[in-house]
Parts: sequence; structure tokens; C-alpha cells
Amino acid sequence: MKTEDLITALAQGADARPRTGRMGLVLAFAAALAVGMGAAALIVWGLDLVRGPEGMMPAMMKAGFSACLAAAVLPLLVRLAQPGRPIRSALLLLAGMLALAGAVFVVAMLGEAPEARMRAMTGGGFPWCLVFIPLLAIPAAAALFWVVRGLAPTRLAAAGAAIGAAAGGLGAIAYSMYCPIDSPAFVTLWYTAGIGVSAVLGALVGSRLLRW
Amino acid sequence: MTVASDETHLKALFLKGLAGDADAHRAFLAEAAGALRAYFRNRLRNAPEDAEDLVQETLIAVHTKRDTFDPRYPLSAWLYAIARYRLIDFVRRKKRRGIAIPIEDADDALFSAPAQEASDARRDVAALLERLPEKQRRAIQLIKLEQKSVREASALTGWSESDLKVSAHRGLKTLARLFREEESA
Repeated sequence: MKTEDLITALAQGADARPRTGRMGLVLAFAAALAVGMGAAALIVWGLDLVRGPEGMMPAMMKAGFSACLAAAVLPLLVRLAQPGRPIRSALLLLAGMLALAGAVFVVAMLGEAPEARMRAMTGGGFPWCLVFIPLLAIPAAAALFWVVRGLAPTRLAAAGAAIGAAAGGLGAIAYSMYCPIDSPAFVTLWYTAGIGVSAVLGALVGSRLLRW
Repeated sequence: MTVASDETHLKALFLKGLAGDADAHRAFLAEAAGALRAYFRNRLRNAPEDAEDLVQETLIAVHTKRDTFDPRYPLSAWLYAIARYRLIDFVRRKKRRGIAIPIEDADDALFSAPAQEASDARRDVAALLERLPEKQRRAIQLIKLEQKSVREASALTGWSESDLKVSAHRGLKTLARLFREEESA
């Protein structure tokens, strides 16, 4: 087929445009996040892992921290899902949020007695959130992958990483409802790392799954 | 023509096309094809047929994904990002088949000297069309190739107009996928 003919053929379809618009885009992402969050919450709740009332206050703090991380990734994700969008400001926002988490970590460590620091940081065992946050991120990641595939990502690994990180943030919110370790140093370090693991997995999957 | 005026001019055409002006959309695609041809040929100096395949693939991508363009941003950045992605994807597909494609280190000026004369693409679109599902194939055949209006096509087939539009749109997407599968086959 000559390119000329292809152009003629394509131009015939000028009126057959599927209209999404900015509003539709926002709704699609919002729906994906809601579905992912709902599914993760249902898993934690369904397995009867939610902490008792006495643990709700710290759980909410941790969920808030996780939500902030997820929110800081979203602008980057939306931009990476469409071709040729500038991402610098979105990267700065994310970097700012990570710096804030780092600052909280340092302050929390300084606030502990020197001999208690190690325990505050490690929580006294293996940081299971590295495993459970990515697991709980799977529903949100699946929904987000579905939305982003319908758009036009041109940097697949980066878009996949952003999906993983955003989904990881939601997974961390759900995990907060169970996680019994409340030390701020632990949370800022390992929750962030758990979201980072999700981002790395997202990048690996993204470069294959997001092809179009 | 300078890059700046090209951007303004192309963007005006593209936005008219988005609003449903088929002539403007056609003019946009024709000019974009010239710019894309120059872009791909600069990078695939030894494979002009591959370059033309990529021009076609990118045109289809630009057409089917035109909803992802936001008028607040430059059109050239959007177009160039898609072209770059199609090129990277192409090289990866070839690499999977064990073929190394040397990419020339050309400068990134998308709008440098458009190349207007198209060489024939390597693949046979007519053959690929045969592999589409019946409805999508008929919709493309009637609306896109025979250039009947959607209403005429609807009268001929008895399918509703919106049904035909959707089928034609899906058909293009399927076609784009077949393009790629054929290459990696």
C-alpha cells in the first residue's frame, strides 16, 4: 500500500474519533485507583488482618504517609501515559516527597536513643512490607496497566515504574491496616522501599505489557 | 519553512482535523508523513523500505491515538515522541529476530527538510486486510478504501452508523497490530 492511499483512508475516519477528553482521563485513572484500592482493602479485611481499635491511630498515620507517596507519583504517571509531555515538574514533585520522607527518617532516628536506633529502623525482624506492599499493589497495578495501555506511553519502562509506584502506594495504604510496627523510622524507610520494589517490578513488566 | 512556523501550521491543521475537518486532517497527515519520512530515513539510511513501513505505522499510531494530544503542549513534541517510540519498538522487534539495525546518529530535528516522495512500503496491506474480522474488514473496505460515506455504508450493510465507525476504528487498530506481528513473525 502506498502511503498516499493510507493517508486517504485515515483521513476518511476524521469524524470517527473516540472522544476521551481530559475529564474522561481523570475518571479512568480515578476508577482504576478506586478498584485497586478497594480490592487491596478487601483482601486485608477479608483475611481478618485489620488491627484492633487501639492500633487505628498509627495505622491512619501510616496510611496517610503512603497516600502522600502515591499522590506524588500520580502526575508523573499521567504524563508518562501520553506522548511528548514534559515531566520535569512531576519529577521534582516526586523528588520533593522522597526528600521529605528522608528528612522524617533522619529526624525520627535522631529522636531515638542510640541503642534503640537499630530496632526503630528494622522493627526487629525481616521487613515484610517489602513483600506484602508489592503483593497488595497487584490489583491497582493491573487496573492502571489497563488504563495506560489505552493511552499512548512512549517510555514504557518509566511508565511501568510509575504504575508500580502508584499502585505500591495504594498497596502500602492497605498494608498499614495490618502492619504492627509503628516506628516512624521503620515506616519512612521500609514503606518507601516497598513502593520502590513495586516500581522496579512495574518497570520490568511495563516494557513488555505496555507495548502498542 | 522554519521549525516554529511548521509547528504553528501543523498544529492548526491537526486541531481542525480533531474537530472533524477531514480535509485538514488529510493535509496534516500528508505533511506529517513528509516530516516522518525524513526522520526515519535519516536514521535508517540503508533501509528505505523499513523507513516507509515506519512512516505508515506512525501515521496509523498518530491517527488512532490522536486523542492523547493535549493542545496546551507542542504538537511536534507529541509527534516526535510517537515516532521515536515506533522506531525503538521496530529496532527491538528486529533484534528479537536476530537482525541488528544500525541507527544513524542523526540530529533530532523532526522538521528538517521533509521527504515527500514515498517509496513503496514493503508489506502488502491488502493481504493483511484479509485477516481482519469480517465486520472490521467490511467497514474499512467501504469507508476507508472505497470512500463511501458512513451513511452509504450503513445503507449497504444494514449496520448502524456508529457501529460502522467503531468497526472501522477497531479495524485500524487491528491492522496496526497485524503490521507488527507480521514483522516479528
